[in-house]
Amino acid sequence: MNSTEQELEIIAQTRNEVLGRKDHTGVNLFLVWGYPTAFFLLVEFAALLLWNENWCSWLWVGIPLVGAPLMIHIKRKDFERTGRRTINESLAVELWLFIGFACFLSGLGTGFAGLFEQCYCTIQGVLVGFGCFLTGSISRFRPVKVCGLIGSVLSFSCLFFQGDLWPWQLFMTAIFTVVALIIPGHLFRYYAKHSQP
Amino acid sequence: MDFKFPVINPLLHNELRLKIMVALDNLESADFVYLCQITDSTKGNLSVQITTLKDAGYIEVIKTGLGRLSHTVCRITRQGHEALTTYEEGLRSLFNQQIPTQKEAENNKQIG
Repeated sequence: MNSTEQELEIIAQTRNEVLGRKDHTGVNLFLVWGYPTAFFLLVEFAALLLWNENWCSWLWVGIPLVGAPLMIHIKRKDFERTGRRTINESLAVELWLFIGFACFLSGLGTGFAGLFEQCYCTIQGVLVGFGCFLTGSISRFRPVKVCGLIGSVLSFSCLFFQGDLWPWQLFMTAIFTVVALIIPGHLFRYYAKHSQP
Repeated sequence: MDFKFPVINPLLHNELRLKIMVALDNLESADFVYLCQITDSTKGNLSVQITTLKDAGYIEVIKTGLGRLSHTVCRITRQGHEALTTYEEGLRSLFNQQIPTQKEAENNKQIG
């Protein structure tokens, strides 16, 4: 068909076209996990302040129950819209599924071991911040990385709310969720919208 | 001077098939409409080339949905990735190596 040079040019052009299209890995992942997390943590906080019953401290289970199916649904819709799935996108989805699963398991573990009030919020904060930082690295969007790092570091402050004050850990974690997931999610969305090729 | 011509895969020695393979090699998966856009080809032609690549085991085709709402998703296989890498390496070695002229080749033979 073509000369060697032309064929190499076709390869380079196609590669550039595929990779050159804006890759907004994880644009929706932050919001899909951010809003259910903040919502359920605030509901749990309010329920504990109002009733202070044992069942109230299990309301966090709603986070993975809502977040995981919502994430899978949104990624499927994204694929139908764009017609492609990049390797980075798959990586980010798997990373967030893993973080969701790890948060769920750590919640169950600490809940049954009676350690939920001591350290669950810190574990969750660190995991979410870590996920945020890694997704920021994958998508090369620095504000997301910074927010993830800040959220992760701030979540250690939950360790200071022990004893009767422990429900405030949930309130603090909801705030860190806003810092680590919701704000970067909206920033990323804004950036993605205004940088379309 | 010793020059050995690399074996060029005839299946990939076609512009459209090469474009499909390169696009899929850089993505996890892509659907038919996206491939149509990226390769700038007609649906009929693309469909034929996709079938050829599928039959060779270079890509896998997953069809979901029914009738007019069917969705075709393509993904490169390990065999396809290896074939494309070998093909590209072959092209590069052809491009980089200096092919001897007839005179040089005769001279080399006499020296040998």
